Amino acid sequence: MTTTCGYCGVGCRLETHVRDGRIASITPAMDGPANEGHTCLKGRFAHQFSRNRERLTTPLIRDARGADPRPATWDEAIERIVAELTRIRSAHGPDAIAGLASSRATNEDCYAMARLMRAAIGTNNIDNCSRVCHSPTSFALRKALGLSGATGSFSDFDHADATILIGANPTEGHPVVGARIKQATLRGMKLVTIDPRRIELADYGVLHLAPRPGSNAAVMLGIAHVLERDGFVNQAFVDERTEGFEALHALLPSYTPEAVSEIAGVPAEGIEEAARIYGEAADACISWGLGVTEHKYGSEVAQLICDVALMTGKIGRPGSALLPLRGQNNVQGSSDMGALPDTYTAYRSVEDEEVARSFEAAWGVPLSRRKGYTIPQMFDAAVAGDLKAMYIFGEDVAQTDPDTAHVVHALESLDFLVCQDIFETETTRYADVILPASSFLEKEGTFTNAERRVQLVAPAIEPPGEARTDFEIIKVVSRALGHELPWATPSDAMDEIAALTPDWAGISYERLGRRGLQWPVAPDGTDAPILYAESFELPGGRAHFAALPYKAPGDAADDEFPLILVTGRRLQHYNAGTMTRRTGNVELMDADVLEIHPDDAARLWISDGDRISVRSRVGRIELPAQVTERIEPGHVFTTFHFPATRTNLLVGASADVNTSCPEYKVVAVDVRPIGEQPAKVPALA
Amino acid sequence: MLGDVSRNLVELVRRHHALDAPTALDVLKEAVELRGEVTDADRREAAARSGLPEAAVHGVSTFYDDLLQPRGARHVRVCTGTACFAATGDAHVDALRSAFGVGLGERSSDGSVSLAETVCLGFCHSSPAVRDGDTIDAGPDVVARVLADACVAAAEPAWESTLAEPVLTRPGDWSGLARVLDDGVAPEALLEDVKAAEIRGRGGAGFPAGVKWGFARASEGDEKFIVANGDEGDPGSYIDKYLMERTPERLLEGMALAGYAVGASHGFVLVRSEYPLSKPALEEAAAAARAEGWLGDDVRGSGFAFDVTVVEGAGSYVVGEETALLACLQGLRGTVSARPPFPAQSGLHGMPTVVNNVETLCNVPFVATRGADAYRALSPDAETAGSKLVCFNERFARPGVYEVPFGVSMRWLCEELAGGLRDGRTIKAVQIGGPLGGILPAARLDTAFDFDALAAEGCMLGHGGILAFDDRTSMRDVARHLLRFGAHESCGKCFPCRIGLQRAHAMFAGEAPVEQARLEQLLETLELGSLCAHGGGMPAPIRSLLKWFPDELGLA
Amino acid sequence: MTRVAVDGIDVEVADGATVLDAARAAGRWVPTLCFDERQAPFGACRVCLVGVEGAPAPLPACTTPCRDGMTIATEDPAGRRVAAAVVELVLSELPEPPAAHTELAQVADALGVGEPRWPGATHAPQPADTRHPYLAFRHELCISCGRCVRACDELQGTFALTATGRGFGANVAAGLDEGFRASACVSCGACADTCPTDAITEVSLLP
Repeated sequence: MTTTCGYCGVGCRLETHVRDGRIASITPAMDGPANEGHTCLKGRFAHQFSRNRERLTTPLIRDARGADPRPATWDEAIERIVAELTRIRSAHGPDAIAGLASSRATNEDCYAMARLMRAAIGTNNIDNCSRVCHSPTSFALRKALGLSGATGSFSDFDHADATILIGANPTEGHPVVGARIKQATLRGMKLVTIDPRRIELADYGVLHLAPRPGSNAAVMLGIAHVLERDGFVNQAFVDERTEGFEALHALLPSYTPEAVSEIAGVPAEGIEEAARIYGEAADACISWGLGVTEHKYGSEVAQLICDVALMTGKIGRPGSALLPLRGQNNVQGSSDMGALPDTYTAYRSVEDEEVARSFEAAWGVPLSRRKGYTIPQMFDAAVAGDLKAMYIFGEDVAQTDPDTAHVVHALESLDFLVCQDIFETETTRYADVILPASSFLEKEGTFTNAERRVQLVAPAIEPPGEARTDFEIIKVVSRALGHELPWATPSDAMDEIAALTPDWAGISYERLGRRGLQWPVAPDGTDAPILYAESFELPGGRAHFAALPYKAPGDAADDEFPLILVTGRRLQHYNAGTMTRRTGNVELMDADVLEIHPDDAARLWISDGDRISVRSRVGRIELPAQVTERIEPGHVFTTFHFPATRTNLLVGASADVNTSCPEYKVVAVDVRPIGEQPAKVPALA
Repeated sequence: MLGDVSRNLVELVRRHHALDAPTALDVLKEAVELRGEVTDADRREAAARSGLPEAAVHGVSTFYDDLLQPRGARHVRVCTGTACFAATGDAHVDALRSAFGVGLGERSSDGSVSLAETVCLGFCHSSPAVRDGDTIDAGPDVVARVLADACVAAAEPAWESTLAEPVLTRPGDWSGLARVLDDGVAPEALLEDVKAAEIRGRGGAGFPAGVKWGFARASEGDEKFIVANGDEGDPGSYIDKYLMERTPERLLEGMALAGYAVGASHGFVLVRSEYPLSKPALEEAAAAARAEGWLGDDVRGSGFAFDVTVVEGAGSYVVGEETALLACLQGLRGTVSARPPFPAQSGLHGMPTVVNNVETLCNVPFVATRGADAYRALSPDAETAGSKLVCFNERFARPGVYEVPFGVSMRWLCEELAGGLRDGRTIKAVQIGGPLGGILPAARLDTAFDFDALAAEGCMLGHGGILAFDDRTSMRDVARHLLRFGAHESCGKCFPCRIGLQRAHAMFAGEAPVEQARLEQLLETLELGSLCAHGGGMPAPIRSLLKWFPDELGLA
Repeated sequence: MTRVAVDGIDVEVADGATVLDAARAAGRWVPTLCFDERQAPFGACRVCLVGVEGAPAPLPACTTPCRDGMTIATEDPAGRRVAAAVVELVLSELPEPPAAHTELAQVADALGVGEPRWPGATHAPQPADTRHPYLAFRHELCISCGRCVRACDELQGTFALTATGRGFGANVAAGLDEGFRASACVSCGACADTCPTDAITEVSLLP
C-alpha cells in the first residue's frame, strides 16, 4: 500500500508492508515527489505505536472529576456527548462550545469537523494547531502575496544559487528536506543560516549568524537595507508587480548593519555578507520555521521576509521561492480546510456573504457570520466561564500549548470536554468522554504538505479493537447531533470540498494518483508548483510591501531571569512524542535535556548530565543539562517531547500580535543546579 | 565522479583543504610515527582536524599498510617483492620471522620489535632488502646484519646512459623552463611541441602526455593541478626512485613546464613511503629552486606562478593508479574510480588535473630545450620517441639504471648491457614492466624493447623494470608469488579483482593441481571485468606462464 | 539529446546519459548489483557489462556515457559470461546462499547462476550487530557494493558509514566500527533500503 507519512510537513510517500494485520515494515516510495525514495527514522521505523498496548481501543467515560475513566460502548459515549452538548447549547448558545481539529488528521477529517462545528453545533469556534506554529506565516503570506502557502516546492532548493534559512533546523525537524538542502550546499548552493544555535546545516553553509532570540526583524531589515543600498533592488519588478515600497524605503535608512548589530548581536559584516549572497544570486530561496513565527512579532518578521524577496524580485520562478517549513503532516491542510475560527476553506472569511451563502446552500443550514475563538481565546473564555464545552481531536494541548498552568485551569473550568485520540494524553486527564480514534496508518483521506501538495493517504491496517477512523467518528457524532454528513467515503467529502472551493476545483482522488497535486488546481486538473509567476493573488495582482520597524520581544532577560530559553524539537521525536515515545525511538533519545553553553554552565557550576532546575516568570521544571558549544552563551534550548518534563509550564502568555501564536522562542529563565535556592514560584502540583 | 567511495567526501576535503587543514591521512601517519599504532582517539583527532567524517577516517585507517602494521620500538620491514623473491625464494623472510619469533604484521608482546612486509624498497639491484627503522640495507648477508643490529645503508645502484648524449641520467638545470619563459613561448606553443614530441607515458599505460595535457588545458576549473606519480610500486623497479633522489630538480622543472602549458599553478608529487629518501631530496630541491627563483609566485619575472608540495603515501600499491593516487592525495582510501570522468577533466578536488609518471615529466625539459624533432630522434630505430630508463634486478651481473633508446633487443639489454646473470646462472625468463607484465622466456629474448613489439609477445613495456628469474626458480612459485601480491594489493572495490585474485591465488597456493579451464575462465573474468589495470593486468603474466611453462604449473 | 539503439530499439536520452540509462529507457534489462538510481554510478560490481559496436570488449553500462549513434547489445555473450562469472564469485564469498528476496539472489537467478563452484575462504559468520533498535548489521553478508556508504553520503548526507579494509577483507562499518547507534547515524534506513543482500537490514525482519 502506498500512503503519505503522518509525521511532518515534508509529506514523504511511503510503502507500507503488512503481515497478519500489523505493519511489518515501511519503506520510502521511489516516486514520492517530496522525498524521491528517501525518508527519515520516523516515517521509516516509528510505526510500532500503532499496535502499542496503550492504544485506546474502547470509548471511555469519566463519571466524576479526578476519577479514572471507565470503558463504555459507542452508543453510551455518543449519547453522553449529544446530551451534554445539546444541553449546553440550549442553556448558553452555540458559541459556548468550541472544537479543536487535529492538524495531523486528514483534510477530510478536518473539513468534517469544521462542518460539524458550524452546521451541527452552529458556531465558528474551531481552530487547529497552526495557531501555535505557522499562523503568522499564513497571515503574512496572505497579506503580502495573497495565498497562504509556500510559493514554490522543495525542488526549488535544487535550483537555487543561494538560500537563507532562518529559524529552522531541518536536519532535525524536516530531515528529508534537511538532507536535500545539505546536498544542494555540497553542489555549491550558498546557504546562509540564521539561528541562535549553530545548527548542523551551518557547518555546510557559507555564513552563520546567531542573533539574539527575538531580533529577527532587525536582521531582515538590515538585510533589506544593504540590498537597497548596494543596488540589488529589482526596480522593474517593484514598479510593475508590487505596491507599498515607498513606506519600506522610508524605514530602511535607520537599519544600517551597525544599528542592527547592536540590536541583534551579530557582526555588521555578517549582515552585509548575507545581503550580498542573497542579492548576487540569480535565484534564491528563503526558508523559515518556528524560529521566525513563534514570536511576539513573528507575523511581522514573515512579512519582512516577503519584503526581501519582493524587493529583489526573487519569487515566482524555479529556484526563487519562499518556503516556510510547515511542521505537522497536515497543518497546511487543516487550515486550508477552514478548521479556523475566521475562515471557510481556502481562507475565505466567515463574514463574506457570498462564501457563507454557498456553504449554507450546500449544507442546508444557516451559518453564523461571527468569527469564533482562537485557541488562546478558548482557554481565556473557559476560565472566564463563557466557554462551557470543547471537542478536541488529535491534539494534546496540556502538553504542547504555552502556560500549562493556564491551559489546565481552562480545561478544568469546562463543564464538558470530549477528547478523540489514539492514546490517553495529558489532555485526556480532564476529558469527560474519550473516543478511540485512528492513526494515519489506519485511515483514508489526504494530507497537504508544506509544498501545498495534496497527497493520498491509504490505510494499511485496521484501527485496533473498537477504535474507529476519525472520519467515521465525526460522521456519527454529527448525525447524532442532528446534522447528517452525506459522504460514504472521504473521497466523497473531497468532491464536496472541490465543488465549494475554487482553488481546489480540479482535485479528485483519481487525479491525485501517486504524485498528488499542488493547489490551486484548475478545473481541468492543472496544478501549481510555482505561484505568482505572472501575478499575485491580491486585488490588482500586485504584492504588498509592509514597513514594520523592529520591536522588542515579549520577554527579556533581566537580573532575576538572566538566560533566554528557546524551545524546539529533536530528530528522534515528534512534538509531544505521543507516537514516537511508543516506538524504538525511545532507545535513541529518552529524555528532554537542556542545552547550555560551556561558559554559562561553568558560571553556574553545572556539569554535563547534571539535573538542573529551570524557572521562568510563570513556572519551574527540572531536567538534565547537556553542555554544548552549538548554542550561544546567554541562551538555552530544550524540547517538549516527554510529558514528565512539562516544558511548557515555563512559557508565558506573550504571543504574536496578529495571530496569537505563542512566543515559545523567547522565555527568560533562571537556571541552576538542583539543591540551590528553592524556587519562588510554585510548580504545578 | 572522482572520489573514494562517495562524491561528497571529495567536496568536504576540498573545503577543508582551502582552509589549510591537514588530510586525515597526514594526521593518522603522525600518530603511527609517534606511537606505533592508530587508536580511536587518533581517528577522532584526525576527523576533527581534517574535517573528514569519523567513519571515513576509520575507513582510511584500515586501508593503508603503514597504518595497519603495529610498530615496536624497533620496526623491521622486510621486502617481499619479486626481485627479492627471485633472489632468495623468500628464504630471507622466513629467516627473520623465526629469528624474531614474530609473524609478519605483528609486534612482540613486550613491544620491543615488530616485523612487517613491504613491497618494494627499490633496492632490487642488491636483493634481498630490509628496512630497519629508516635504514635500508640489502645484499646476500643482510639478514645477518639485521639480527646483529648492524644495518648499514645499502649502496645506491650504478647508472649510466647508452645514448651519445645522456638525457635522463644527467642533473636538471632548468634550461627548458628558462628558454620557454625568456623566449616568451606561449603556453599553447609549448603544448603543441609536447604533442609533436609524442612523449608516451612512462608509467605503463603509454598514453601520450601531450594529449592528456591538451584535455586538461581545455577543461574548465577554478584551478588546475599537475600531479607527479611517484608511487613506483612495481617490485623490481627503482627508476623513479633514482630520478626523485638524484635529479629531483629535473622532475620539478618538468612539472613547472606542465603547469605552464596547462594553466596550473600548483603541483603535487606523491612519493611512496617505501622510499624514505625521496621526499627529503625533492623538498631540498624545491627549496633551492625557490631560492633561485624557479618556483614561486612570479618565476623569472614572467608572471607565471608555480610551486610544488611533496606528499608521502602510506603503503598501497594500487595508489599508483591515477584515480586512486588522487584519492590518496586527498587523504581518502586509495580506491579506484570509474572513468570517465578522467582526471584531466575532474581530478584533485574535482579540478582538472594532469597525472603523469615521474619519468614522463623528466622527459619534458629536453623537449622544451631542444624541441620535438630532437626528442623523436633519440630512438632512431623505433616507433616510440625519446629514451627510456630501464633497471635490472640483482640476478644480473651489472644491475643498475640504464638509459637506452627504444627498439634495442631484449637480448642486448640482458646479455650485453646488464652482462647476463652472475654466478654462471642462465636466464629462464624475464618479467618486464612490473608484476602485471607478461613473462618472456629466454627463447624469445630477440624481441625488440618497444610498446608494440612486446605487446605482440603478451608482454608490456610497463615502467621498464627488467626482472630475471634464473633456472632455480619454479614457475609455479612465481605464479603463486604474483597472485599473492595481486590479491594483497587489490583495493577491494571491484568484484572481479577483489574476489577473483583471492581465488586465483588459492588455486596456486597449496599443492593441489590447477584446473586449467577454471583458471582460464577466471583470467577472462579478470581481464574483461576489472575496473582497472590491477585486476585487468594480473592475467598477463599467468597467461605467459601457461603458454611457455605449462609443465611447471601443476595443471590438472 | 543523444540517440542510440539498444537491442535494435531506438531511444533518445539526455546528453551525458549512460548506456544503462539508455537500456532502461528502452525497457531492456541489464543486471546490476552496485547500482542505485538515487546515487551516482559507481562501477564496482562489473555485472552490467554490455556489448557496444566498435568496442573491443564489453563495457560497463552504468559508467559508460552514450554517444550519438551508439549501438548497444544488452545480451552480449562475453558480457553475460563475465557477469555470471562475477556473480558466481560473489556467491562464493558468502557463508550462506542469499535469501530469495534479496537483489543478489534475484540477479543470480536471472543470470542462471547456481551454487558457486569455488571452494576456499568465505566471510566468517558473526552474530548480527543489533545494538540499534531498528538497523541490524550482518557483516558476513556484505559484498562491498558501496551502496550503503553512498546512500548515507549522497542521499542523507550524514556520512555515518565507510568501506573498510582492502581486497578480499573489504567490508563496511558505521562510525569507528562502533555500530549504528554510537555513530553519527540518524536512522533514516536508506542503507537498509539499498542493500542488495541482507548485510544491513531491519532488526524486525531478521530471521
